[in-house]
Amino acid sequence: MRALVLLWSLGPLFLQLFSSLVTPETLVDPGKIAGGGHWTLANYRALLGASPSFGRYLLNSAVVGSGTTALTLLLAVPCAYGLQRQRGAMRWSVMAALLGAALFPTVLLFLALLGLARRFDLGNDLLALSLPYAGLSLPLAVLLLRTAIADLPPELEEAAQLEGLDFGERVRHVLLPLLSPALASTAILVFLFSWNEYPIALTWISRADRLTLPTAISRIAGSSVYAVPYGAFAAATVLGSLPLLLLVLLFQRSIVSGLTQGAIKG
Amino acid sequence: MSGLRIQNLSRQLGNRLLLDGLELTVAPGECLALLGPSGCGKTTTLRLVAGLDQPSSGRILLGGEDITGQPAGQRQVAMVFQSYALYPHLSVADNLALGLRVRGVPAQEREQRIATVLELLQLGNLRSRRPAQLSGGQRQRVALARALLRQPRVMLLDEPMSNLDAQLREELRPELRRLLCGAEPPVLYVTHDQQEALGLADRIAVLKDGRLQQLGLPRQLYEDPANLFVASFLGRPAINLLPAEGGRLLGLRPEHLRPTAAEGLPARLQRREWWGHQQLLLLDTPRGELRLLLPSGSEPGDSFQLDWPRACELWFEARSGERLRGFGSENTRAL
Amino acid sequence: MSPGLLEGLLMLPALLLLALVFLWPLGAMAWLSGQASSVLTGLTALPNGGANWLRLLGDGRFWQDAGQTLRFALVSVVLELLLGLGLALLLQRPGRGRAWLRTLTLLPWALPTTVMALGWRWIYNDPFGPLNALLGLLGIGPYGFLSNPATSWLFTVLADVWKTTPFVALLLLAGLQSIPLELRESLELEGAGRWQRLRHLTLPLLLPYLSLALLFRLTQALGVFDLVQVLTGGGPAGSTESLALYAYLNAMRFLDFGYSATVVMGTFVLLLLAVSLALLLWRRSQPHRRPA
Repeated sequence: MRALVLLWSLGPLFLQLFSSLVTPETLVDPGKIAGGGHWTLANYRALLGASPSFGRYLLNSAVVGSGTTALTLLLAVPCAYGLQRQRGAMRWSVMAALLGAALFPTVLLFLALLGLARRFDLGNDLLALSLPYAGLSLPLAVLLLRTAIADLPPELEEAAQLEGLDFGERVRHVLLPLLSPALASTAILVFLFSWNEYPIALTWISRADRLTLPTAISRIAGSSVYAVPYGAFAAATVLGSLPLLLLVLLFQRSIVSGLTQGAIKG
Repeated sequence: MSGLRIQNLSRQLGNRLLLDGLELTVAPGECLALLGPSGCGKTTTLRLVAGLDQPSSGRILLGGEDITGQPAGQRQVAMVFQSYALYPHLSVADNLALGLRVRGVPAQEREQRIATVLELLQLGNLRSRRPAQLSGGQRQRVALARALLRQPRVMLLDEPMSNLDAQLREELRPELRRLLCGAEPPVLYVTHDQQEALGLADRIAVLKDGRLQQLGLPRQLYEDPANLFVASFLGRPAINLLPAEGGRLLGLRPEHLRPTAAEGLPARLQRREWWGHQQLLLLDTPRGELRLLLPSGSEPGDSFQLDWPRACELWFEARSGERLRGFGSENTRAL
Repeated sequence: MSPGLLEGLLMLPALLLLALVFLWPLGAMAWLSGQASSVLTGLTALPNGGANWLRLLGDGRFWQDAGQTLRFALVSVVLELLLGLGLALLLQRPGRGRAWLRTLTLLPWALPTTVMALGWRWIYNDPFGPLNALLGLLGIGPYGFLSNPATSWLFTVLADVWKTTPFVALLLLAGLQSIPLELRESLELEGAGRWQRLRHLTLPLLLPYLSLALLFRLTQALGVFDLVQVLTGGGPAGSTESLALYAYLNAMRFLDFGYSATVVMGTFVLLLLAVSLALLLWRRSQPHRRPA
């Protein structure tokens, strides 16, 4: 059963890896593998040697991702804290609104957000792209962090209060250290969202050297439906996945716990 | 005037009175226990004194100074929380150091004070452990150390032993007395455990539904309770209450009853619990079921007569629960 | 400072940004849906008295896309919930390497949809893709997975199920872990078998998690865009086009922003209807467990 699940989950990923590493002749007739090596790194060389290089897109996505994550946490932590301190009715209505926003399919906002980019001339600016991304990540981030704050025993802050720590000191010495696991898992989820976001990047970014990874991939795919360079495709998907694979493998615990903790109470 | 003085203190939440006009003084060096069932207002009192909650009316004076409106951080009070509230991300030493650091105590003095208090509580070998790596008793001692380090003007303890097992509680009681009671700052100690209050406190204040029921020496509360609630809240096994004429109740503590050869209240043995040093007998009498506490060696037989010293009788008015004083032996026959 | 003021101020920046990216766009699009704004008007907005909405009502392509989107959402969400539940039960079972199994099964969810859509495009390739190679081994001729208008939507569903089932499973796993072991053991002592435990204990207690997963997946699937845009581009013959893709095409290909906004708002209305209907059915089916 487990083997079957793994095959189902990972099979397509391995297919990509395989396709990216063989010559086009072998790709269409894998039987040739048996007859002798047809392995090649040509696909990767072509991608990385192209102008702009594929590495550029990875870098762009990393820039947007970091900007988004930083901005989201900066706004979400105070908001979650303030929210948790609200009276019951107020808190529940804000949380319901946040839940609604978290459920909302963000693709439906692309047109109006494009208008925003036009009006303030934010197109093709990677850091400016962090602004809508942070806005779209906020509902989930605030809900997750509020749950984490609600789970902290109130006596800890009270004890610090009695010891004479003012608000800023309590945040620095007590609140933030205790929240760090929740902060880590929230940060990863926000980064994942930003790394994977497609429709808004598609409409905000048009310059080739500013494309984020998903838009770059779709541009390669869009070149032609029929005579598609599948080897290059596969190499692109592998390169585009690797950073995420690393991230997920490194932070598996945070991701799983972040999602599972926040899921319901949020 | 030094010490802690609470004047007409009330706390209303919605339309519920959590605390209703409390009057208390705790002298320097005195340990006063706030005793009562949950929801009686004892923790509320503690939080009001600490400044974690604001009273609806009344004043709190510390060393003659009105601190009612002061922020918690400026009151220089220390509190040991029921959950101990140790910072889980900090080692024992850092838990103790945080408050001192924030107040700008120089590193050398800080180190010295921490070392002193760690030694006082025999925690020296645990200084670099995290709270999660400590046992319940050790955590309690760290919380106590943190409170002592504060050099507080009043020491507040909120059920500090309720998370410990019975044996540990007994072991720690004299230790707590040594550390807290008799030192300069007054101690306000909240507990729902009467044995803890009787054994530890100089005086006890019994609370119920936000009102002070009685304030006095432990022995006074037990032997001379102000009302039915205090009489039945203190003492295990609980006091026997016999309905009497005129809407009165006669209270008799189980250890004051004794079998007699003379004529008394006829009783038949129903069940017996053997406790080692003592035994509890449950008796059927014409006045209802009674509890009788006897030395474990005595064998009174299956049915006998019951008697008690008249001086031990406690009379109450059944409806109000008020104590009826000067109501003596000649009325016993009114049973 | 009055109590509560600080807390309000702390929330303010986040709430402002939220208003900017959620409320303002909705308002702007509601307004734009009443305007003619296309190449014909030089992209300036001119009120056209509800003409966009009238056009929407008679737009066969919009309604066809609405039907297709709903079909896609219902089928994929049902499959994802069923498979996700099975996967969650499997992932919960103790055993060696459980943590690794959880991580590895989560991978498809973590990767960008566009990346994996591209991968599936190769898998479905006619005649060279691995799936056709597999059919070839069975002696069945190559099949045009993405070129047959009658069946291609099924393969978009398959790709979506592959990608999102792990997420559903993870949510449900959280629910499973919240069920105290003692409850299961006590039911086991009463002689309940595995299936009975699932029916009488696990599923009822999992209900809040299941409904959250359902709600989340339903709204996301009704807004499906990345997958179809990259996998099929909406084809063949528009048979996999979704509402979001249609709105996108109106704006970015036909340069008719007014009508695109109308399609977006129309989609939003349908989305609200679908969610309310789901909630209504949900409530109707649970009359006895409505808490006060």
